[in-house]
Amino acid sequence: MRKIKIQFKLNHNDIVVETFPNRRLLDLLRDDLNLTGTKEGCGIGECGACTILINNKAVNSCLILAPEVDGKEVLTIEGLSSNGQLTTLQENFLKYGAIQCGFCTPGMVLSAHALLIKNSQPIEDEIKDAIAGNLCRCTGYKQIIEAIKATVKS
Amino acid sequence: MINFDSIKHVRGESQFVYDFIPFEKVLYAYVFYSPVAHGIIKKINLDNALGIPGVRYIFTYKDITGENQVGGIIQDEVLLAENEVDFIGQPIALVVADNFLTAKHAAKLIKCDIEELPSIFDPREAFQKGSLIIPPRVFSLGDVDEAWKECDVIVEDRVESGSQEHLYLETQGSIAFPVENEGIKIFSSTQNPTGVQRVAARVLNMPMNKIEVDVLRIGGGFGGKEDQATHWAVLTAMAAKKLQTAVKLILPRQEDMRITGKRHPYSTDFKIGLKKDGKIVAYEVTYYQNAGAAADLSPAILERTLFHTTNSYYIPNVRATAISCKTNLPPFTAFRGFGGPQAMFVMECALYKASQVLGIDYHQLQKINLLKDGDEFPYGQRAENCRAKVCYDSLEKIYKVDEVKGRIEKFNNQNRFIKKSYSIMPVCFGISFTTTFLNQASALVHVYTDGSVSISTAAVEMGQGVNAKLINIASRVFSIPPTRIKLETTNTTRIANTSPTAASKGSDLNGFATMEACQAILKRLKKLAATELKIEDENQIEFKDEVVYCKGEKTDLTWNKIVQKAYVNRVSLSAHAFHATPGLYFDRDTSKGHPFAYHVYGTALIEVTVDCLRGTYKLDSVQVVHDLGETLHPVVDKGQIEGGIVQGIGWMTMEEIIYDKRGKLITDSLSTYKIPDVYGAPEKIEIHFLENAPNDFGPFKSKAVGEPPFMYGIGAFFAILKAMNVFRPGLEIKFIAPMTHERVLMTLYSEVKEKVRL
Repeated sequence: MRKIKIQFKLNHNDIVVETFPNRRLLDLLRDDLNLTGTKEGCGIGECGACTILINNKAVNSCLILAPEVDGKEVLTIEGLSSNGQLTTLQENFLKYGAIQCGFCTPGMVLSAHALLIKNSQPIEDEIKDAIAGNLCRCTGYKQIIEAIKATVKS
Repeated sequence: MINFDSIKHVRGESQFVYDFIPFEKVLYAYVFYSPVAHGIIKKINLDNALGIPGVRYIFTYKDITGENQVGGIIQDEVLLAENEVDFIGQPIALVVADNFLTAKHAAKLIKCDIEELPSIFDPREAFQKGSLIIPPRVFSLGDVDEAWKECDVIVEDRVESGSQEHLYLETQGSIAFPVENEGIKIFSSTQNPTGVQRVAARVLNMPMNKIEVDVLRIGGGFGGKEDQATHWAVLTAMAAKKLQTAVKLILPRQEDMRITGKRHPYSTDFKIGLKKDGKIVAYEVTYYQNAGAAADLSPAILERTLFHTTNSYYIPNVRATAISCKTNLPPFTAFRGFGGPQAMFVMECALYKASQVLGIDYHQLQKINLLKDGDEFPYGQRAENCRAKVCYDSLEKIYKVDEVKGRIEKFNNQNRFIKKSYSIMPVCFGISFTTTFLNQASALVHVYTDGSVSISTAAVEMGQGVNAKLINIASRVFSIPPTRIKLETTNTTRIANTSPTAASKGSDLNGFATMEACQAILKRLKKLAATELKIEDENQIEFKDEVVYCKGEKTDLTWNKIVQKAYVNRVSLSAHAFHATPGLYFDRDTSKGHPFAYHVYGTALIEVTVDCLRGTYKLDSVQVVHDLGETLHPVVDKGQIEGGIVQGIGWMTMEEIIYDKRGKLITDSLSTYKIPDVYGAPEKIEIHFLENAPNDFGPFKSKAVGEPPFMYGIGAFFAILKAMNVFRPGLEIKFIAPMTHERVLMTLYSEVKEKVRL
């Protein structure tokens, strides 16, 4: 198999990488680009730990092949806060205790972020829908919902 | 108060073993495991696998230089199978290659001829065939045989509770590498660093001081990484030693689910006798614990089942027998509650069934029999500062249970197929390792010359917020802001002989040790301040918000200044403290003693709505009054309670572990095994911390929090059952958990002999 060249915007910067066409986007991000904030929880698109944004939509990076992002915009958790400044959403995750072990957190935050891009005033059901694909084994979700709600209010 | 690690988590900066690459060159390992549940290994051929480019080495038991033994309590578990395999998933070989995919591919090419032998999967069958892990254990109180005569009503039944996968989001993993002086350093995702170190030393035939285990944080544990993280860590250590390079092993989710142990399934018989007024007179119970193919922690889990036989109730005559049955399934292991939930579920089943026979409301029966001060547990300890009743009464008052009842009755009268119900679940959980010697911890505290503080303890941070609590404790003792304190990794070179972070004891044990180390330093600083301020009595010195006070008056001395002065005056700014929980003892021959430092109490109210046509249900709310003592960290504690509840509900409702007839796990991925997602969690959760409830046995009067809330989830089972009973009064009930949607439907309709009158 030959490597192919792909070009995309990663966390607001243009990049060009060479990768095998069968490489998972998750592996490209983690192993080749050293962006380990994106986690693998199940590898079959069920847990949402590897959630990233492609063109502002939340997707599971374990189900996407790297070449699929050619020409697109990718946002990972590392690109969310600009100049080290946390977003209000991130601040609220801290404030409301929406984090325990932290392994699901990057995916959870990005799913919520994608929702807020599309819909700045979601109701609770829309919030739940947005994170229904993200599993958390620690919190029980309530504090996560509260954190997102508080962001909506502000 | 913000949890210590959260800022890094929310930025994706926090590292787990899985993220960690300490060297440019790391080899990757993959486990080749038994495809049959029981058999003799006839021949193993590695040639094809070794022929794959990039494969560096394949380890079998023959490569083990020390003892091929990972068993903790009982030495009955090999690291790599020798001649016999005892369960599907048992590791046989470890393939090490340049990258993960090569290792995985090569493992598929290993040829292993195994002659299958008959297997046992059912614990009762194992018991009948004499396949036991340890001889049966019995706890007794009073005289059960005599007591039956006094009973007006005697009820018997059988209860089945299912297994549960931990599903820590970060799967098991380890990375090990050689260090100088022929040492090995291991970064492991473990709750038990010393356990890893001890077993690695045994398997590699090295002294423990040449093995350093370091744990930065783990992505969830729940007990699953107490004993069963060891295998992977030791395998990487063995490979790193032999190949003299870093070796990483991360179990993919499916392998993790197939190979590693889960919560013990139990099959139980109970017999309960009561007076007409509802007072329980006698309770006899026999638990058949499915332990799987090796002891692991099963004997200790079995014991905790016995300790929690009567839950939150007083029963004067009890005989509880627990049998740990050896089967051909992956060894079952610790999981939040550690055998306690299994016992408490049976107790509630007994009360529920008795309530139906007696015609007394189930919750009335609970109240009549609640534990009070001075009551004796079947293990000889007496209830002290018992908060069973105050939690139950507060719950009824705060959440207006009478109104809830009325509202539900009204709804049910107006709805034919949709039924609502509620259940109340009291919990009483003993705090301490029941293996007394494990109740020890140490802390190492350094104050640096700039006034910043570093703390090392035996506690592993796994999301439960122990680091935040320890920082809180140090911050209160020194009266400096939490931002000046750093919690170090859990490391066996800094803190030796650690007990696992388990039994909900992490904050208590390490909290006390931290407190004592900080107090030792503070005492020296006070003495120095007294000298500096030219007063005799150092007790008149106080530290408040980084300022030194003398006789209540502010002085010019600050935290930073006094620390500097201490250094210049050659006063030690470091302390190591050791803490052992006082007053604990337990005699395993008589099964009597004082095994717990204290008990945690609480009560939950659970409301559900069941669609009795479809069998589906939803959890409307869980409202709790919980005894935390004086909370060390409200945000962390609230999170622990809520998370525990949802996990407990998962165990009782949707999480179903299914093996096929050959002992192969069918529910081996997240597409077939379901844990609560945001919709599986209750719509509403409210937590009320019991007020005015200091605890003399916890740091700063606090109580442990980790495990007890899990058991509130048991209430979900009975809330659903009650709703089913409203829909079909007289429905024959089988106590089988989890109560999945499928089971609700099958229970409501599968045994219908005549047409249901709808």
